[in-house]
Amino acid sequence: MQTQVSGIGRTVTRAEVEDFLFHEADLLDRWRLDDWFALLAEGAEYHVPTTDWTGWGVLDGGFFSSDDYEILKARLKRLKSRKAHAENPHSRTHRMISNVIVGERAGDLLEIQANFIVHRFRDETTQSYVGRYQHLLEVTETGLLIRRRRSVLEHELLVPGARLSFIL
Amino acid sequence: MTQTAMTRSELGNGLIAEDWDRLTFRVNREAYRSEAIFAAERERIWMTSWLYLGHETEVPNPNDFKVRVLGGKPLILVRDQNGQVRVFLNSCPHRGTVLCRESEGNNKNFQCFYHAWTYRTDGEMSSLPDDEAYQDSPDFRDTVKLRTVPRMDIHEGFVFVSFAEEGPTLLEHLGAAADVITMTTEANPHGMQVLPGVQRYGVKGNWKLAVENAMDGYHFAPTHNTFVGYLRETGFHVTDDDQYAYDLGQGHSMLILTGHNGRLGMIWEPRFGEDEKERTRIQRAEMAERLGEERANEVGDASRILFVFPNLLLFDLEALTIRQLEPMAAGQTDVRAWQYVPTVETDDAREIRLRTMASFVGPGGLATPDDIEAYEAVQRGIVATAGDTRGFNDWSDMSRGMGSEVRGEQGRSIDEGAMRSFWRAWSRAVGPVDGVPESELAR
Repeated sequence: MQTQVSGIGRTVTRAEVEDFLFHEADLLDRWRLDDWFALLAEGAEYHVPTTDWTGWGVLDGGFFSSDDYEILKARLKRLKSRKAHAENPHSRTHRMISNVIVGERAGDLLEIQANFIVHRFRDETTQSYVGRYQHLLEVTETGLLIRRRRSVLEHELLVPGARLSFIL
Repeated sequence: MTQTAMTRSELGNGLIAEDWDRLTFRVNREAYRSEAIFAAERERIWMTSWLYLGHETEVPNPNDFKVRVLGGKPLILVRDQNGQVRVFLNSCPHRGTVLCRESEGNNKNFQCFYHAWTYRTDGEMSSLPDDEAYQDSPDFRDTVKLRTVPRMDIHEGFVFVSFAEEGPTLLEHLGAAADVITMTTEANPHGMQVLPGVQRYGVKGNWKLAVENAMDGYHFAPTHNTFVGYLRETGFHVTDDDQYAYDLGQGHSMLILTGHNGRLGMIWEPRFGEDEKERTRIQRAEMAERLGEERANEVGDASRILFVFPNLLLFDLEALTIRQLEPMAAGQTDVRAWQYVPTVETDDAREIRLRTMASFVGPGGLATPDDIEAYEAVQRGIVATAGDTRGFNDWSDMSRGMGSEVRGEQGRSIDEGAMRSFWRAWSRAVGPVDGVPESELAR
């Protein structure tokens, strides 16, 4: 497994990617959405494919979420509102991230992959969301930014109650 | 379309309390909670009515198949080797094993793994291992074929099945809903297709709450406050004014939502972008040429939500989504939703279409999660009044707009008339249910 790659910019280690993903997960679990949004590059997208996904792009098939930057901003504004009923009160989420793989790098764009388990607690019930992140990160002088955030569920379907009203 | 005559239909059971003097309409909450009622619905609705199974464009090529459960029964939707769409029970005739354990694919044969009995995609047996053992009954092999559903029919590519051998034809069942389905196919000269990417999700709520929610314009502003806010920020003047609900008969109903009228290719709004403005102009001209001005306007001018009793919802809004309901238990429903798109369109148009619909409908959108929250909160909340026989404590109210119903006025989408017509049809279909006491408050 590749632990570091070199491109036109500085070197990025797996440890840096892990730290970034852990920090991101922490912000989401704490519902610090503005701080989380600051981790996104201008024009970033957020995709959650359907559970029958075989790799199609946003033109070729359905998604649970396929937000461009504008829709993503609207999603965050909504989630910060007390009128986002599906998340008022907020779900409690608890994210575990592992199996981080640093993938291909083209210029300052870096593909990474990681396994996730997100436990969600609400209405005295629990759901687990198991899947894989397939993100496209932008390497900057001082850190990393998210260009495309893709959360691919391993499930065959969303089990009863397991909607995607929060950022997965 | 007008609906002048008020229909004071017969009710089929005591779970509905309709009072035309006080102008109240109430539903006993056992209808959402009772497993006995759920079982009666399976038997008297799902095993008798036409049910939406899938769309023929989901299996575009010979030997393409999808596996799907409907009314609790595992089915295979397949296009056979000669191109004909067929539906089989997903169960080997030999011992009943689930025959096809993949959820979708393409194969020339379905082979049961258990004893290797093998069938072609037209259902005929193609291989019976060691068939000399059956030589004493020479016609044995010829009698073995995949079991079909009693009836299957297709309207405009929408594949329906019925588990009842007798009953109305599909077109008789669809009635006025048939033309609304046809309209969805007419906006584009090259026809429509269902895309891969099925939103599959479970909801902890009774299936009828999902029907009510779709036919309930009253909830839109409060429930979708944040989504309406987003639409307004994009310059979309969404409103509840001048929108109506239609009882299409036989339990089918429709909302026409002129206040929710950004329609890709048909009615432009700023969030669709400038390029879409020109595409819209061209498409409307093409529609008028092909369909005539009147039909083109009927197809293009209004957003619609259609409910086809009992399991199909067709959202013809900014774009089209097909949603199918599969009740799993009194308090649980599985949902499948598909994007239904013009077969030919530019990449730009397709991208706006899919993003716009995903941003709104579906469990990862900006609106549907609040609907799901609503059904689930109802399902949790109605436990509170279970067994409470004081007055109408254990009844849900759907009286809004009964006054205008009495006066014979067209019901508004923000009234509850479409829900009442659904519940009346439901009560006739289900009838009295053993073990569910009839309240003296009913009727």
